[in-house]
Amino acid sequence: MDSARRLGPAQIDVLAQLAVATVLLGGIYALIAVGLTLIFGIMRVVNFAHGEFLMLGMYLAFWAFALYAVDPYVVVLVSIPVFFVVGLVAYVLVMRGVIQASHNVQIFTTVGLSVVLQNVALVAWSGDFRFVRPWHLSTVIRAGATIFNLTQVVAFLIAVALTIALVAFMKWTHAGRVMRATAQDRDAATLMGIDTDRVYRLTFAIGIAAVGAAGVLVAPLYSVYPTAGLQFVLISYVVVVLGGLGDMFGAMLGSFIVALVEVAGSYLFGTAWKEIFYFILFILVLVFRPVGLFGQRGAETLGV
Amino acid sequence: MSRATLTIIVATLALVLGGEPAAVRGQSPAGEYKIGVLEPLTGPLAFEGKRHMEGLEVVRDLINERGGVMGKKLVFAVADATDPTAAASEANRLITREGVKIITGTFSSRLCGAASEVAARHNVIYWESSCVDPRFNKRGLKYVYRTEIDATGFGWYNVEFIAKHLAPRLNLKPNQLKVAFLSEDSSYGQGVTESARQRAKTEFGMQEVMLEYYNWTTLNDMTPTILKMKQLNPDVVHHIGFGNDAVLFWRQSKEQNFLFKALVHAGATGYGGGDFGKALGNDANGVFALLEPGPGFRLEALRPEGQQIEKAFREAVQKRTGTYPFGAHQLAGSGLWLLKLVLDRSKSDDPEKFNAAVMALDMPVGSMINGWGVKFSEVGQNANDRVQHYMLQWQNGQLVTVWPEEFTTLRAKWIPLGAWDQRK
Repeated sequence: MDSARRLGPAQIDVLAQLAVATVLLGGIYALIAVGLTLIFGIMRVVNFAHGEFLMLGMYLAFWAFALYAVDPYVVVLVSIPVFFVVGLVAYVLVMRGVIQASHNVQIFTTVGLSVVLQNVALVAWSGDFRFVRPWHLSTVIRAGATIFNLTQVVAFLIAVALTIALVAFMKWTHAGRVMRATAQDRDAATLMGIDTDRVYRLTFAIGIAAVGAAGVLVAPLYSVYPTAGLQFVLISYVVVVLGGLGDMFGAMLGSFIVALVEVAGSYLFGTAWKEIFYFILFILVLVFRPVGLFGQRGAETLGV
Repeated sequence: MSRATLTIIVATLALVLGGEPAAVRGQSPAGEYKIGVLEPLTGPLAFEGKRHMEGLEVVRDLINERGGVMGKKLVFAVADATDPTAAASEANRLITREGVKIITGTFSSRLCGAASEVAARHNVIYWESSCVDPRFNKRGLKYVYRTEIDATGFGWYNVEFIAKHLAPRLNLKPNQLKVAFLSEDSSYGQGVTESARQRAKTEFGMQEVMLEYYNWTTLNDMTPTILKMKQLNPDVVHHIGFGNDAVLFWRQSKEQNFLFKALVHAGATGYGGGDFGKALGNDANGVFALLEPGPGFRLEALRPEGQQIEKAFREAVQKRTGTYPFGAHQLAGSGLWLLKLVLDRSKSDDPEKFNAAVMALDMPVGSMINGWGVKFSEVGQNANDRVQHYMLQWQNGQLVTVWPEEFTTLRAKWIPLGAWDQRK
């Protein structure tokens, strides 16, 4: 352990590599959390089935690769419209009925949806671990002593692009403005002639399209199996609460904070400790700043 | 007395008198002997459970071709044990409705505990062929037996391999070896790791440079762990992986160019599953996993009776599934064959006579399927050094048998592992 603690050139290299690991892992979390925070922020629905849509995205990447040898980077383009439609269908069939209901009902509904999707995947594709292995999977970029995994770099860049695109969409388009208005006050928005049902439909579809694309992008990095979503979804909630509900840049920063806590905790204290640290952080934020680190004060009561 | 009251009295009496009227069907007609079989045939464990079932059916037919058990044809009363609750209630049904006196199963450590409790309550013999939970035999239950070793046995074999095969080939004494222990945190992972640590330290004086447990379901990045290990510079990494974690560790170790001399795993999960090879292709080369024998296994190394049954078993599985037997076939099949050997001697399913026959069994390594031998301890556990296990190695997309060398035609390669791109 002594050599690990001494600060020499080798130690600086390790620090640099840990920083890279933080940023790249944070990119993956951000990619997954952006859609969740959108749905959370606009609809005020905690979508417990978020991880399962991620899993479906991973399966899309797997089958496209296994059956037709299509690279995930091509599939990701297809996945956005596909999951937009999936989101629409899920909204119409499941979410519309409970959007006015109490939070408990919404939670039961989305948890139910999550269990259904997991079991559909289990029946349709069995519980086997599947893998997507495109040629660029083990490609690494070396910069000095640090090493970047190409797939993770791409996921990171797309996460950043996606976040910026969504923020711009919310800020400068008419649809975005309507969505924000609905989030702030559902009843007033209805009085202003906004079709809130249409807004929710659109929000849910965009959120699911984002997480579906995320699933395709992370598929090469992890195994694909029916409960693969659970691996990430808990962390996504931490990220979203940390960043402030509905705040896209907040989700991005929250992702990097969670990744930093995870990487530093794993390195210094051991992997078993990482969850303890980020859940302590989670609790502290909830106690001292319930709106999240970057959320607006009072936002937590909006429309609830 | 009203009819309702009478019904209640009769029903209560029936319950008090041990539910005898419920045993409608009971044992098979003369000429057949029925045992209960509990395997997960639906649900998340079904994939492996069905393979166990195949192994059992293949060996049942082999047994019947050779005269059955106690002069009768062996038949199964099969029950689906999806989860621990179903395992317990189905065990109950097998005993009370089907009238079985022996139950075998159950593949998973999640199921064997619950099912064997029920059997023990009814004084029924419970014959476990594959669950590896170390607590299984330590609950003071009577007539509960396990033919396979438990998780601590896997740790015992791993250290045996590291000390007696790896160390000499690395030109090091066992006490010069630096070992890093890494494991997922299930009862299996902990059982293997803790017993390996203990034996490595007390018996061989190996140097433990690291011990780390993690939860594989929430593990998304192993870079921090790998960077830490890199600085500790272990010779051997003892890693019990479950699924994605094994792939992640291996892939990211390659990315970080983490060089060590060998990686040793135990069991059919993680590095020991076919998925690992599928995920990594030839990059998987060099990893060791302790398992049942695979390709390369030498029939001639077994005793004549062992050769005979191993050959018949392999051919029957090949005929039925078109492949070399999988671990699930081998565990369930050898367990059932061993049950037949016991019944041949006890000539009765009376628990006391059965127990006496089990305790009297003493067969050397190489006597039956998988080259196993038999010597049960008082708590009903077959002995580590009789239940011969084998080290398999990933070589160009296949797990092949490499140790003990007298049992195999193939040899371990890449010791030490060497540079990542040189393992071809």
